[in-house]
Amino acid sequence: MGIREAIIVALGTLRAHKLRSFLTLLGVIISVCTLVAVVAMVQGVNTYVGSKIARLGSNIFSVSQFSLNEMTNPVRFMRAKETNPIIRYPDYQFLRANARLPRAIGAQTQRTGTVKHNGRALDEVNISGVTPNVLGMLAFQVANGRFLAPTDEQRRAYVAFVGPDIVTHLFGGANPLGRHILVSGQQYEIIGVATAQGDVFGQSQDNFVMIPLRTYQKIYGNQDSITLDVQARGARLLPATMDEMEMLMRVRRHLSWNEKNNFGIIGSDALMTLWHTLTGAIASVMVGVSFVFLVVGGIVIMNIMLAAVTERTQEVGTRKAVGARRSDILWQFLVESAVLSTVGGLIGVLLAYLFTLAAGALTPIPFSLPLGAVVLAVVISTLVGLFFGVYPASKAARLTPIAALHSEV
Amino acid sequence: MATPTIHQPSATTATPYAGDHEVVIRTENLWKIYQMGSEQVAALRGVNLQIYRNEYVAIMGPSGSGKSTLMNLIGCLDSPTRGEYWLSGHLVSALDDDELARIRNQEIGFVFQTFNLLPRTSALHNVELPLIYSGAPPAERTERAMAALQQVDLADRVHHKPNELSGGQRQRVAIARALVNRPSIILADEPTGNLDSTTSNEIMALLEVLWERGNTIVLVTHEHDIAEHAHRVIHIRDGQVAGDTRTRRGDAVANRPPAPPA
Ligand SMILES: Nc1ncnc2c1ncn2[C@@H]1O[C@H](COP(=O)(O)OP(=O)(O)OP(=O)(O)O)[C@@H](O)[C@H]1O
Ligand SMILES: [Mg+2]
Repeated sequence: MGIREAIIVALGTLRAHKLRSFLTLLGVIISVCTLVAVVAMVQGVNTYVGSKIARLGSNIFSVSQFSLNEMTNPVRFMRAKETNPIIRYPDYQFLRANARLPRAIGAQTQRTGTVKHNGRALDEVNISGVTPNVLGMLAFQVANGRFLAPTDEQRRAYVAFVGPDIVTHLFGGANPLGRHILVSGQQYEIIGVATAQGDVFGQSQDNFVMIPLRTYQKIYGNQDSITLDVQARGARLLPATMDEMEMLMRVRRHLSWNEKNNFGIIGSDALMTLWHTLTGAIASVMVGVSFVFLVVGGIVIMNIMLAAVTERTQEVGTRKAVGARRSDILWQFLVESAVLSTVGGLIGVLLAYLFTLAAGALTPIPFSLPLGAVVLAVVISTLVGLFFGVYPASKAARLTPIAALHSEV
Repeated sequence: MATPTIHQPSATTATPYAGDHEVVIRTENLWKIYQMGSEQVAALRGVNLQIYRNEYVAIMGPSGSGKSTLMNLIGCLDSPTRGEYWLSGHLVSALDDDELARIRNQEIGFVFQTFNLLPRTSALHNVELPLIYSGAPPAERTERAMAALQQVDLADRVHHKPNELSGGQRQRVAIARALVNRPSIILADEPTGNLDSTTSNEIMALLEVLWERGNTIVLVTHEHDIAEHAHRVIHIRDGQVAGDTRTRRGDAVANRPPAPPA
């Protein structure tokens, strides 16, 4: 009996017992669905975050009060809070005066606050003080008007460059250029509006007000640590530029050779690495869970196939009586459980596909079915069917035609 | 090892029984003992039989006398506890599983009292089944299965499933399945046991045609008028041969002059 016949017989049996087959396959369906959906999700989120991080601009890294390592570990963070001094404006000036490799060094500091206009208020707005040269280094572009200029910085002017959320919420979408907003009791004239960036994990990226760094410090004091954004002159010079900044910071801080850095240097690749470790951990847990489902699914299939062998003793007997060999029967039941399991795998892939469609529609994350994961999941489900089908199939194959014919059910 | 070959019936070899003495089925002291828990049931107690090629034999006997058991042994569906069974000169107990499968597939057509068709499967596919296991290509398979169904007058019911057919039609499907691979031996265990007399006569007419074509036919029955179609009646009682007689038809055939070669 060829594989085509075996598959046709198998599909016929599946069709004859639709509900039972579906229930049998639940384990495989769930596991394949989780497997594919998790891989799709991790991949989608990675692409998304990758693109967001890449939008920081190329060859950019930052110098900040804490390193990534310290920020992601509560214990280390508590310790670093004691040891790492805040970065102040004079530090920024020192680096600008002494660094030779960077193309530009920008500075920013931020807090959240309420922004008001004409009786309307918007809470939880990101208020940043920035140097004018962060334009082109950070992930925003000018949609309307202009960005902060060096003269604004020198004059410590009360001017603001705002995100589109400010315009929609406080100005009802009307042109806000030249009009005023109130932040922490101080009036600012709006000189420019940024292009919309959308959400990252439900967090709007357009909900900000940028004012000159010196203006910020005039209003809020200098107790907020500054983060420096450093742009290297090219990818090749990036490591050297990072080294130079590290060296200059250590000099500035009078650290001896055996003391650790008491500041952080964060490159986009470090961010990406951190991110991948995070998602990788989640993914491996989910993949592990889906494999448990898969084994459970396989055992269910084995049970159902054993029941099917008993139930179909007569059929097996009839087939043997008209000339089926042991290998024919073995093959038939093996193919049947493999087809059963593969169908489960395909249904799982379909569900995962629907899931990614829904997730893609509800979030800005670009989900797509990873072809590799789909192929792998289907192959694995076939193998599970084969593996767990061996015992029932060999049981069926060993039936004698007469024992099979006698069992009148 | 060599597999047994059984002559395919053909027009030239289809001579009546009297003229041909090739032994197709021979049993020697055949025993079949069933183990029922601690109890042993001897269904056959030393059966000695010889059946010649193109014979038409009926096996009769009371219920439980061992007729089906004997038929199953002859059909290579079961193996004896003791004794020897020679099929076309080959000792069946020496054959391995695949060779037995080949014999069931090619040499013997078995018709069961309970039809034993695959449910939920069309008449056509049921008849194709032996061809699937003999490895015939799909197109040839369908063609031959259609021809076999035509032969049993069921050409208009090929796509019906067993539960959409009458008892007589089901038995005809079973016969079509038994003859589709052109076996030389047809074994039928009470083929008319579940049928009314009209339908029984149709089935018997079919077997008659098969005999005419040179097949060896062994048939189990309870009914004397069915047994009268055969040429020889073997009586079984308590698992032993209790009588072996020629019927009136058998006498007629035996005295018939050999048919001229076609
Ligand atoms: N699988 C089995 N296990 C145990 N005993 C069996 C088995 N098959 C048949 N027998 C016993 O063997 C004896 C012969 O059975 P068999 O089926 O050959 O009788 P039979 O002549 O065909 O009867 P009937 O005319 O009723 O079909 C019976 O006593 C029966 O109970
Ligand atoms: Mg019987």
